[in-house]
Amino acid sequence: MRDPVAAVTGLSRTFGSKKALNDVTLAVSRGCVFGLVGENGAGKSTLIKHLLGLWRAETGSVHVFGLDPVSEPTAVLGRIGYLSEQPDLPGWMRVDELLRYMQAFYPRWDSAYAGQLLEQFGLDLDSRVKTLSKGQRARLGLIAAEAHRPDLLILDEPSSGLDPIVRRDILEAIIRTVTDEGRTVIFSSHLLDEVERVSDHLAMLHKGTLKLCAPLDDVKAQHRRILLRFNEPRRDPPSVSGAIHVAGSGREWTVICDAARLHASAMAQNLGATIVDDCPASLDEIFVAHAALN
Amino acid sequence: MAALRLNPSLGTPLYVQVVEHLKHSIATGAIKAGEQLPSVRKMAEDLLINPNTVVRAYRDLESEGIVELRHGSGVFVRESVSARTDLMKKAEPIIRAAVDRLETLDLDEEDIRRLMENELAVRRTARQARKRRA
Repeated sequence: MRDPVAAVTGLSRTFGSKKALNDVTLAVSRGCVFGLVGENGAGKSTLIKHLLGLWRAETGSVHVFGLDPVSEPTAVLGRIGYLSEQPDLPGWMRVDELLRYMQAFYPRWDSAYAGQLLEQFGLDLDSRVKTLSKGQRARLGLIAAEAHRPDLLILDEPSSGLDPIVRRDILEAIIRTVTDEGRTVIFSSHLLDEVERVSDHLAMLHKGTLKLCAPLDDVKAQHRRILLRFNEPRRDPPSVSGAIHVAGSGREWTVICDAARLHASAMAQNLGATIVDDCPASLDEIFVAHAALN
Repeated sequence: MAALRLNPSLGTPLYVQVVEHLKHSIATGAIKAGEQLPSVRKMAEDLLINPNTVVRAYRDLESEGIVELRHGSGVFVRESVSARTDLMKKAEPIIRAAVDRLETLDLDEEDIRRLMENELAVRRTARQARKRRA
């Protein structure tokens, strides 16, 4: 891989007795949308806080633009745009004051672009931040994250609790960012639909462990969902070697499997079952299957 | 293009959904021969999908000979595609009239399908026989 924008190697983090991150190794290549999925508490935000240099790696290492974000915060943060689920914006400021304040931090701040987004989002410059609705606050956070045209845009669960129109604005921002040559996005969400729409690369965290990390097309191509029907109802799931997950009841059982490692018709024949359906698994099904796998 | 609704929660990859939709639009004449498809960027922003997904869909359509990529100017529906679309359009009223007449004979859907397949099979056999003689 060309120099990755972000590289994490053997990163672990514990909070008390809880392993928030367990030996995570991944690389984010330039120009891609890196989708990070996982349930609440899976470690997504913990990972992102390490990338931002807010937390120092206890074990392992973290590099962003080839630099250690903890020891070189200005060089790293100056090139990152960041939006979290609850944008931490000072409520007492007016919108115009906040944007001027942000501008002072970023030499590359693009006022014309910020103005264009303000208009598109219908944000009033005179409003106090604390009087804005949740959606408008998210949009303001998006302008703050995007208007300096960062090399790396990090969005941590940006869509949580927002209506579909604001979510659309966020997805548009992601697409705008990657269509500009060379810029990269890390997008964490538990909304798999959104991640699948915009991502090139998918990483799945479950209880601090990286379960999957591959190009999205590969993930999709690898996983199939096979629906089996048995002549007699079964009390226990059929044992299928090479399956990632088997679920069902009675006569119908669904097998999520790695397409390359399992020959569907041979499996069905061995089990004395018939294949009712064999199709690509959805991301949701893949996610559930891997989360159940220990 | 606004009518295009993608459903990521289906297992079908998004680029396949885009390809299918564009093929349908071209077949029905909603997108005409020689017409330029939206730029990758525009399409990605309209559909809210990764630009690489659009690139992949356009490449698929190119390899099937449905569109051509002209360097620097964009992606265009091939003229040859229209000939086919026009033919299909011309064929529609002929088949409609034939089915109308068959229905007046109280034949049901299954009968009509069987007759049609039978007729096609007879012609295929005759063609093959001619080829063997030649």
